[in-house]
Parts: sequence; structure tokens; C-alpha cells
Amino acid sequence: MPATDYQASFLGRISIRRNQVIAMDGNHEQELQDLELFSKHVSERFAELLSSPDDVPFDALLSISWLRKLLDFFLCCEAEFKGILMMGNDPSQISKPPLDRLIPEFLDRSVKALDVCNAVTNGLESVRHYQKLAEIVVSALEQKPIGDGQSRRAKKALTSLMSAMNVDDKECSAAKATERSWSFSRRGVSSKDRVPEHFRSVSNQVAKNWSAAKQIQAMTNNLVPPRGAEGSGLASPVYTMNVIMVFVMWALVAAIPCQERNGLSAIHFPAPKQLNWAQSIIGLHEKIGEEWKKKEKKGTAGLLDEMQKMEKLGNILMDFTDSFQFHGDITGQKAEEAAAHAAELAETCRRMEEGLLPLQMQIREVFHRIVKTRTELLNALDQVGKSPPPLL
Amino acid sequence: MDECQSAIPAHDGDLHVVAAAHHIVKALGTTKNLSDDLRKILIDLDAHLSLITSNIDSKGGKGFVEVEERLKRVERKIVIWESDRIMIWDSGPKEASNYLEAVDEVQTLIDSLRGLSMNENQKQKELLHRASSLLQMAMSRLEEELIHMLVKHKQQSGPTCMPSPSSQRNVVYHESVVSLDNESAKEASSKNFCSDECGEYIVDLVPEHVILDIKSIAKVMFASDYGQEFCEAFIGVRKEALEQHFDILENGKLSIEDVLKMEWCSLSTEMNKWTWSMKIIFGVYLMSEKRLCDQVLGEFGSVNSFCFLEIAKTTILCLLNFGEAIAMGPQEPEKLLRLLDMYETLADLVIDIDALFSENGGSFVRLEFHKLLEGLADSVKAAFNAFRVAVSSNGSLYPFPGGGVHPLSKYVMNYISMFPEYCSTLNLLLEDQHSDVASLVSEPQCGPTASLSTSCAMACHLRSITSSLESNLHKKSKLYKDEALQHIFLMNNLHYMVQKVKGSELRPFFGDEWIRKHNAKFQQHEMNYERVTWSSVVSLLKDDNPGSSSLSKSAFKEKCKGFSVAFEEVYKNQTSWCIPDPQLREDLRISTSLKVVHAYRTFLGRNPAHVDDKCIKHTVEDVEKLLLDLFEGSPRSLRNSRRMMKT
Repeated sequence: MPATDYQASFLGRISIRRNQVIAMDGNHEQELQDLELFSKHVSERFAELLSSPDDVPFDALLSISWLRKLLDFFLCCEAEFKGILMMGNDPSQISKPPLDRLIPEFLDRSVKALDVCNAVTNGLESVRHYQKLAEIVVSALEQKPIGDGQSRRAKKALTSLMSAMNVDDKECSAAKATERSWSFSRRGVSSKDRVPEHFRSVSNQVAKNWSAAKQIQAMTNNLVPPRGAEGSGLASPVYTMNVIMVFVMWALVAAIPCQERNGLSAIHFPAPKQLNWAQSIIGLHEKIGEEWKKKEKKGTAGLLDEMQKMEKLGNILMDFTDSFQFHGDITGQKAEEAAAHAAELAETCRRMEEGLLPLQMQIREVFHRIVKTRTELLNALDQVGKSPPPLL
Repeated sequence: MDECQSAIPAHDGDLHVVAAAHHIVKALGTTKNLSDDLRKILIDLDAHLSLITSNIDSKGGKGFVEVEERLKRVERKIVIWESDRIMIWDSGPKEASNYLEAVDEVQTLIDSLRGLSMNENQKQKELLHRASSLLQMAMSRLEEELIHMLVKHKQQSGPTCMPSPSSQRNVVYHESVVSLDNESAKEASSKNFCSDECGEYIVDLVPEHVILDIKSIAKVMFASDYGQEFCEAFIGVRKEALEQHFDILENGKLSIEDVLKMEWCSLSTEMNKWTWSMKIIFGVYLMSEKRLCDQVLGEFGSVNSFCFLEIAKTTILCLLNFGEAIAMGPQEPEKLLRLLDMYETLADLVIDIDALFSENGGSFVRLEFHKLLEGLADSVKAAFNAFRVAVSSNGSLYPFPGGGVHPLSKYVMNYISMFPEYCSTLNLLLEDQHSDVASLVSEPQCGPTASLSTSCAMACHLRSITSSLESNLHKKSKLYKDEALQHIFLMNNLHYMVQKVKGSELRPFFGDEWIRKHNAKFQQHEMNYERVTWSSVVSLLKDDNPGSSSLSKSAFKEKCKGFSVAFEEVYKNQTSWCIPDPQLREDLRISTSLKVVHAYRTFLGRNPAHVDDKCIKHTVEDVEKLLLDLFEGSPRSLRNSRRMMKT
């Protein structure tokens, strides 16, 4: 993309010139190069995420593998960011304006991000539960020939699956999970397919009033792009990292069941389009935001690609089992279609089986990384605070 | 397959079968009671035989008549429960075993029907569908029975004989070194019950007899390939039960943000709860849950560890996150003991955790807890350092009134008197910081004559802390303008330190040498006090001309007056001073008395001629009595008391 290249170097040149007035030493130039490299990498990485094809199931937007890539990029960006911030030749910078204000704000967001990580880790447990239910559907429909028993078995698991996805998605899941108790008078239900008892949803790990959406919203507070001369210093990578962190957490919450996600799409990112590195993030934000709006209208499950597939296939197979019970034996094209859908569901389950645990561990890695950086920054601030102020 | 085999006359095979059949008949002749297993085998055999014979004339489909009959019979047994509102297992063991038998029969029929090749036989297909339908109905029912059973017998009480968290150490160090001004440190009670007491404490989460029932359901469901349903239902109920137990332990559902913002007082309570919950959840519930999973699912491959992990994971994550939040928080000195509790608890449990999650899927849990243990170790070190820094840097602007025992001394001494209980942990964690501290405290204790307890890392750290305290107290003593009060202050505080060391578990870590040395130190201050205060007063009574036998009246009067004024001044000042320790106060009074009263008595005795009421403001007895008012911490004035006595 020659246009953006030009833009990057153009912007870069302006900032270099501006800074030459402030400081002319070589170290500063090195720092500027680092900054430029950082934003270049950021924009490249997110451009790659934006360009991931929707039709290829493996890398589709918000699929497990896509999320893993996102987290990978987060870790890379974070490492570079820390390098810029901490390896600089003047450690006292972090205690001087504007960083003396920006760093504590960044640390505050970090802590909020940690809680999001935990909520999402917990949410993955629900996804894993869906997977197990879907696997039952698959084992029922894999039998040949499919008879009434298999169809009923599949239907039962499907009903559990769909309601579990819905319960988790009704946001009040945490409250519901604890209020619900296994009914003792269940024998009163006389229908042949009793209400399945596979309810299991997000356990409330945090207080009932904790809200993922509010948490993300709170992370965007005070998040404004650096203005004027600030834009050329370390304030800009801090801002960039803030945006990346908020975006990654936002995307995770959009994809994976979490406590209270209402109004997620309304969260506004204060990332100006003229910033080169921000364009892909803005693009992704818009794209996922639209998906979320659709979801909110339809009231479907989370945006995790595999879950959406599961939901879609679940609905189709549910129709199939319904018509099976109505018509009795089904053969020919319909049966073949059902088998194909079951195979697709099996494939989705397989991807979950392969990807969910690594994803969970990666989220944990992100968690630990954020903690580590926070500790290091606090120590650095502490050190700077202890050393006597430079004589002026 | 079976069809093929039976169609081909295989003599050898037949002979074997015939021999075996004879054998069975013979064996059955002697038995009156059939074991369940044997009965099942014979029923299977029966089903098989009926199919083989029917197979011979399968073309007409008449051969399926018997299978159909059996299916109908078993159908009745299963369907009848569908309209019943009572649970089968609640109705009695006989009903339950009949039902299980029926399900077995369905499974047998299905297996046999499947065993026959599908040669477009409509009847066979129909029967198979009917049987599968029936099986689904039965499985669905069994799942329900299972859930009902698990819910009904989920034991709420749990480990009732365990000490409750309220009976354990609930002493909270509310005060911090920073906010010491008025409050005195609370005497801390001893540590709660020893952590290895609860070690492995396995309870029956589900009563023994119910486990057998659950197992019988598991067996049938797994045999019919409904293991997934079994696991999901099992996990669902057990997971909820565990979460309920966890809720009973009253762990606040705290986000990391909450924890970091929390006031120390509530945080300390939460830290205590965590320590307690870890012991109960891992040491009792998870141990027991693991056993339950093994008992119920042990024979079905690795599902037991999978189910266990699924049941445990969310609760574990909750505990893990609180631990992480604590490990990342600022490590203030007052957190040290709670952190030590957390560290020790986890360190004790790590082996159990490794054993509980030894399978592949559990490596995540294992790793996280090992990481947390490291984090807590760092936190302990950080809090320890913060404590040390706080002890040496705690500053005051004003002298501590009365020269008594400073709150910092109380706080520090009470706080460190808890350390010996964490001796091995502290030794382990402070080992790497040992050498520099040991060189700081280059006292004979660390020398070759030192015993093991005085030379360990903790002992050196303890002495380094008290020596920081001492230098801080010296700094604080300089705030008094009165040199005598400086000595009283140091005497009081050093004496307090020695007493604390002598009267606690600290003694072996400080050693007799330290005690001797510090006894000498406070005694030195005692002597210095006497010198500074009383030498000048007593010198007023000194004989200027040792040669002459007595003084002139005016000289005597002058000396008397001088003494009274000086004594009254001391009295006015030092009655407001404070020596909290009665023994120390007594000792000091005695030695003061010896010095002052003796001098005064001698002085008066040497001048018997002038001794009359008018000259002498205070008699020897007065002085002796008045000396008792010193160091009581309540200011008095002699002029006032005189006046009061007169009026």
C-alpha cells in the first residue's frame, strides 16, 4: 500500500522535525524510530486480522483461531510497548508530565482488563459445556440409520444446547445459575421429552452487579488521543497500547459469554481515523459492532464464530428432529442433508476441542503478562519516586 | 455376521459350543441362586439364541415374532414408569433392579438386532427403531433418576467436625506502622490450627449406598453409549454442589479491582477466608470429589478425571483469582502475617493439587497454582521488606509524652513475636536475603558459638529488625529536651523489648547473649538517668568543708532550701513521666531512694542542731514517700499538694 506508506513517513517526518526542535540528540532519534516501528507493527498486525477471510472457516473473524491470533498480536504489541517505555534512556520520563498522569491511567485500565480476562476465562467454561452438548447431538445423529430414538436423543441435547446458549446470553445468567435449583417435583412433567436438565451456565465468579459492558465502558473513560506536542513523545505509544488493550478486551467480551454484555456495541472508541495504525482497529470495531447489533436484534448467542455455527446448525437440526418426529422415518435427501449438517457440527466440535483449552491458556498468559508489566511499571515509578529529583 | 456363522456348518465350532453348553447345564444344576452377572450372561444368551433360531426362517419374518414379544414385554416395563410420578429409585431397590434389567434387555435386543446384517428387512429395521426409541426413553429416564438422586443426597453439612473459621485466629492487625500515633498494638493471640491438621480429610459427599445406585446407572448408560449424557448430568449437579459449598464459606465474589481498592481491615478478613477456603475446598471437598469421581467413573477410562476437572474448575479459578489479586497488590507491612498464612496454606496444598490434577487436562491448574505460590513468596518477601523499612523509617515530629513504651515498640515486638510460628517458611523465603542481613547484624550470635536457632535466616532478620527499631528509638529519644527523659524513654523501650523477647517464642532466636547485652543497655540508661537527674540534687547536700563537723545555721538553711527547690522541680516534672512496668518502676525508685534518701538522711544527721520544722520543708519520710509518686504518669505539684494538705 504505497499510500499509507507515504502517509506514515510523512507523519513521521513531521514528528521528527517537531522533535528536533526539542531535542537533537541521537538517542531521541532512536526513540522516534522505535515509536514509528511500533505503530507500523501495530497497523500491520491489525490489518492482517481485518483481512482474514470470512468464508474460510478456520480463520474467520472471531473464530477461535482468529482470537488466538488476536491475543498473539496483543502479546507482541505489549512486549514492544514495554520495551519502548522501560528501555528508554531516561527512566524518569514516566514520572514526568504527561506520563505521570497517563501511566497510572494505563495501569488502572490494566486492572480492569484483568477482570475481563477472568470473566472471559470463565465464559469459556460455558462454551466448553456447549461443545459437550453438541457432541451428544453428533453422536446421536452419527448412528445409521437414524431412528426415532436417535432423533429424540439429538433433540433432547439440542434443546439443552439452545437453552443453555440462551440462558448464558440473557445476561442475567449469573443470577439465574444460582437461583435455579434442581426441581424435586419433576415427575409432574408428563411430556415424553421432559425439559432437559443440562442447564449449566456461567458461574458467578464476581459480584452479581459486575458487568462486562460497563467494565469496557469504564476502560474507555479518559481515553483521548494525545494532542499537540504530546503526540510525538511517549504519550502516543501509551495511547496506542490503551486502544489495543480496550479493543482486545472488547472483542473477547463480544465473542465469549460474559456476565452482562448489554450495550456493548454502543461503546465508542476514541480512535481518530487519521492515525494510520488505528485504521484497521476501527475497521474491525465497526465490523464486529455491526455483527453485535445484528445479534442484539436476533437475540442469538455470542459472536464466537464456532458458537454461531453451532447455533445455526443447531436450529437446522432441531427442525430436522421435529419433522422426524412428525413424519416418522426420513430417508433420502433430507437424511443426507441432516448427516451433512451433523458432520459439520462434528467438525465445529473438533475445532473447539482443539482450540478452547489453548485459547483459555492464552488468555491466562495475557493475564499474567498484564500483571507483570503492571508490577514492573509500579516498581519503576517507585524507583523514580525514591531517587532525588534532578536539580534544575 | 452371526447369520454367516450359523449358516456355515463348522464342526469344530459346534463341538466347542456343545461342550460349553453341557458344562453350563451341569453347573446350573448345582446352583440355586444366580449371581447378577451370571443371570445377565444367561439372559444375553437367551436373547441370542432366540435370534439365531428365528434367523433360520427369517424370510417370512415370522422369526422376529419372539423378539417382538420380548420387546413388547420390556416396553411395558419401561413405559409404565413414564406415567408414574414417583421416581424409580425412591420406590425401592427391587423396582430399580427390575428397571435396570429391563434396560439391559433392551440393549441386548438392540445389540442382537444390530448384529444381524441389514438385508433390507423391514421388520428387523422397525424392531431396531422401536428398541432404540425405547432405549432413548429409558436413558432419558435414567438421567433424570441420576439427577434426582444426586440432588437429593447431596450432603450439605460436609465436614461438620472441622473447626469453623470463626474459631480460628481472627486477630486482625488493624493498625499499620504508618498510623501508629495513639493506638497501641493489640496483643495477638496464637496462630490458628496447624495446617497439616486438615491435610487430607475425605468425606462422603454422597452416601455410600447411593454411590452404588449411581454406579449401576453409570454402568448401564455407558454400556448403551450414553456416557456423555451421564457425565454432563453428573458434572452439572456436582459442580453446583461444590459451588454451594464454596458459597457457604462466604467468599466474597470480588473482582481484582475490588480487592485492590479494599480497606485493610476487610481485606484481612477476606485473606483469612481465602486461607480457610483453600484448606476446605482442596483439602476436603476436592479430595472427596475426586474420590467420588473415581468411585463412580473409575472403570470407564479417563472420564473420571475429565469430569472432576469440569466440576472443580470454576471454583478453583475463583480461588486462584483472589490469590492473584493479593499477590499483585501493594505489599504493606501489615499484610505480612496474612500473606504468610496464604503462602503456607498453598505450599501445604501444592502436593495435593499436583495429585488431584495429575492428568493432562489438569496441567493448567497445576501450573497456575505453582505460579501463584511463587507470586505469594515474592509478596511475603516484599511485605517483609516493607515492614523493615517501616520500622526504621517511622518518624515522629513530637516526643512521645511521658517517655513510656512507644507504640512502635509495641507494634514491632508484638508483630515479630508471631514470626516464630512461621519460622520454617520465613527461613526458606528469607534465605537468599540472608547474607547481607547477617553481616549487618554482626553480633556474636551469628558467630561460631551460636546455636542453630540464633543463626538461622529468620533470627538474623529478627535481630536486624530490632536493631532498626533501636536506632529509630534513639532518633525518637532526641526529641526530648530533657536528657533524663531521653534515658527514661530508652530504658522503658529497651526493657520492653527484652521482656518481650524473654517472654515469648522469640527467645531462642535472640539468644541469651542478646538478652544480656540489652539488659545491660537499659540498665545503663537507668544509671544515666539517675546521674543526670539526681547527681546535681544530691550534690547540693554535699559537705563543702569535709573537715568541720557541722554547718552554720544559715548555710544549712541555704542547702535545705536548695535541695527542696530542686527536689520539688524534679517531683513536678517526673511525676508526669511514665514507667509502665511496675517492677522496673519499683527498682528505679529503690535505687533512687537509696541514693537520695540516704544522702538526705546523712545530711540531716550530720546537722542535728539545726533540725527543726521551720528549716526543713521535707522530712526524710516525706522524701521517701514522695519518691513513690514519680513515674506514675500523672503530673503533680508539691506546692499544690502542700496547700491541699494544709487546707
